[in-house]
Amino acid sequence: MVRLSFTPALALLLSLPLTVRAAPPATEPEKAAPPHQTWSFDGPLGQFDQKSLQRGFTVYSQVCSACHGMRSVTYNDLSGIGLSRQALTDLAHAKQVPGPPDSMGQPTMRPGLPDDHLRSPFPNEAAAAAMMGGVAPPDQSRLAAIHPHGADWLYAFLTGYHMPPPPGAPVVPGKFYNDWADGHLVGMPPPLMNGAVQFADGTPATVAQQARDVTTFLVWASDPHRTTRHRVGLYVFAYLSGLLVLAIAWKRKIWNRAKTRTTQDADD
Amino acid sequence: MKHPETQDHTSAPAAFSGGFAGWMEQRLPIFSAFRKEYVDFPMPRNLNWLWNFGAILVVVLLLMLATGTFLAMNYTPTSAEAFFSTEAIDRQLSGGWLLRGMHVTGASLFLAALYIHLFRGLYYGSYKAPRELLWLSGLVLLVMVMGTAFAGYVLPWGQMSYWGADVMTKAVGAIPVVGSALEHVLTGGDHLGDVFLHRVFVLHFIMAFLVVGVVGLHVACVHITKSGNPLGREPKGPQDTLPFHPYYTSKDLIGLIVFAMVFSALLFFWPGLLTEPANYAPADPLHTPADIEPEWYFLPFYGLLQSVPSKFGGLLAAASAILVLFALPWLDQSPVRSARFRPACRLGLAGLVMAFILLAAVGKHHATGEWMLIGRLAGLYYFGFFLVLLPLVSRREKAQLQAASPTTSEGDA
Amino acid sequence: MTHPTDPTTAPGQDESTVPGRRDFLGMVTTAGTVTGLAACAIPFVESLKPQDSAAAHQPVEVDLSKLAPGQQMTTVWQGKPVFILRRTPEELARLQNAALNETLRDAQSEALQQPPYARNWHRSVVPEYGVYVGICTHLGCVPAYMPPTPAPDQTGFYACPCHGSHFDLAGRVLKGAPAPYNLPVPPYVMPTPTTLRLGENPKGETFDFSTIEQI
Repeated sequence: MVRLSFTPALALLLSLPLTVRAAPPATEPEKAAPPHQTWSFDGPLGQFDQKSLQRGFTVYSQVCSACHGMRSVTYNDLSGIGLSRQALTDLAHAKQVPGPPDSMGQPTMRPGLPDDHLRSPFPNEAAAAAMMGGVAPPDQSRLAAIHPHGADWLYAFLTGYHMPPPPGAPVVPGKFYNDWADGHLVGMPPPLMNGAVQFADGTPATVAQQARDVTTFLVWASDPHRTTRHRVGLYVFAYLSGLLVLAIAWKRKIWNRAKTRTTQDADD
Repeated sequence: MKHPETQDHTSAPAAFSGGFAGWMEQRLPIFSAFRKEYVDFPMPRNLNWLWNFGAILVVVLLLMLATGTFLAMNYTPTSAEAFFSTEAIDRQLSGGWLLRGMHVTGASLFLAALYIHLFRGLYYGSYKAPRELLWLSGLVLLVMVMGTAFAGYVLPWGQMSYWGADVMTKAVGAIPVVGSALEHVLTGGDHLGDVFLHRVFVLHFIMAFLVVGVVGLHVACVHITKSGNPLGREPKGPQDTLPFHPYYTSKDLIGLIVFAMVFSALLFFWPGLLTEPANYAPADPLHTPADIEPEWYFLPFYGLLQSVPSKFGGLLAAASAILVLFALPWLDQSPVRSARFRPACRLGLAGLVMAFILLAAVGKHHATGEWMLIGRLAGLYYFGFFLVLLPLVSRREKAQLQAASPTTSEGDA
Repeated sequence: MTHPTDPTTAPGQDESTVPGRRDFLGMVTTAGTVTGLAACAIPFVESLKPQDSAAAHQPVEVDLSKLAPGQQMTTVWQGKPVFILRRTPEELARLQNAALNETLRDAQSEALQQPPYARNWHRSVVPEYGVYVGICTHLGCVPAYMPPTPAPDQTGFYACPCHGSHFDLAGRVLKGAPAPYNLPVPPYVMPTPTTLRLGENPKGETFDFSTIEQI
């Protein structure tokens, strides 16, 4: 065993001179972080704003879901943004989903149920890619979690389109200029327009407002239990703090006896 | 345990003489054995807070087994369903997000506590006679826990799971002679799919319970040799010891509560610190994620692997970093146990911790340019400490001690 | 290791000065810890709760137009086999035979094993079609349909392969068999004479299948 482990040490030693060779250039300049926004759900105690979540869902269902799926989320889960049982059942019912084969073995469609998932409108990934210019629209279940600076990036992206593109920017047919897309070009046309959706609560549906709300909704979708998690966490902390005080008092009491038992110093 | 139990039967009948306890006592004396090993068990009275981590590890292990069992009931180990069954646990299963959160946090903090526990042994010379088996069984546990953690990380079948598994199986394939056969046995085919995932699932499950078995051995060892202590000198008699209960139960409780607070803070408030965003995307064999790196607890070994410019050499270096620890009881011959009385060793250990952290940084930043140099120097120091520094220092200390008191060797009580 | 004297009581001084103080503190701490551990069980127990699947509550539509008299078909509703039997007039006549009823355990369907609208001599909505959940009330096997043999005075019946329970063509259990109850009748409506919708009550009826005596 001892002999064996000399080998890598030797290998290391021998390879040391090799390190003098020039370091390869840094891969690429670090992309600028999107400007930071204030979000109610930020931080260790953040909570989702239910009103914003519901507006965001309006944007999602009227705009995003035309191309994007959210396959890990069920209609039932929407109770987490404050939809009533009846409302989400109706929502699900309005969608047609593949049903069991009929008596002739032919595929059928049936109205959606609350435990159905928010499916992509395309039958499969290949069909989606074929219809959307070669790139399938990404699933949105965990979109905000996968992207670095998820919420800030989504907001910057949704408000980062330039029509027409700034002078000097490459123009590719079927691609749109966005400050925050890779290479500034993205296949998705600007999804949000002023007043394109109507909010039930009367909030003016500006692009910025829609971007804000749908970002909140997407962050919720990627972390639906955040509000509960933070609340349970507080209870757990309160309990542990109380128990810690008790435990310290108990331990002190016990160890005081140990000190009087003998004069031998307890190296603690 | 070590002696025939007859003596104890006659000396401690008062507690277990009548009723059910008495009946049991004559047939299977578990009550008196428990009392002897966990209530009256003599512990050195000078243990510091680093001695809490044994109890912490046991509790986390139990938590991992419990949450793991419940997660397994809701998990489907197929390449089509693994990711989505994990998502369903996180989203639709009631309490599922909490169970999985505990399991994920537990995995990270188990390794963290294990590293601290290991360092404690290293610093206070817990590997020295008569505790060599204690040390070796602990290292076996470390290896097993690492394997279990890796297998567990593969199961959600996200991008990081998939590519981690891919790199690992290729690494196994790099072992000379047996490598490619071993790789095929592991993957069960020419690509990572259902067969592989099933094998990893079973491996994860079985390993977890084997760990419990080895923990049993490890604890049995400590009950034979008794616990070490920060001074490194064995207690001379009852005046130097305290019964395990209530002294160390109360002390361990505090340690456990503080640990639970760290655990809860990560679980409830900062879960993002322990999760890899790319693993929220389902495995895609056609696209490798940009920054592929292992979990933080593997980073030092990953750094070592990258610092050696040879496929097999890197693997050997990473593996030897653990293997060399197995030889430690024989590399360090000094009769002094605790680094508290070994200034040279203390300095060397500080450097070792430094090198370990630097190697982790190398693993994170990829061993190119200056990181390559740092990785090699840190790796060199890591092995140099165990193979050169420690044997030299221990030889000098031995000579000094013999010069000071030629009649008895003081350290071995 | 071999010293039997309890070191905690050896000094004895503290104990006497503050009697019960440590014990009280220790008890409270222990109780607090145990409470916390018990609370940890909540997510575990939660996760075992059966997930209420809305799909299971969807009515199932069955087409009966191809079912000939004297034939039986099996369909699936809420994951359970459902027998649909088209009874011949002779079979219907036999179901009303009082002498035969003597051999039945619950000829009048007194136990709640059917919706109120199926508590009649034919245990169904219309006499011609019998609809039963095909799960033996003894230990849950699926009884087999035994068509009538050509011999005169013979009729079909259901026989459970596991422990030999017999049911007549109205799903009523015969005496001398281990099964305690008649076969359950699911809630259903017949929107047309040849279609049947399982899992839906007729208008004005509120029958909950989960309230029956036994599946």
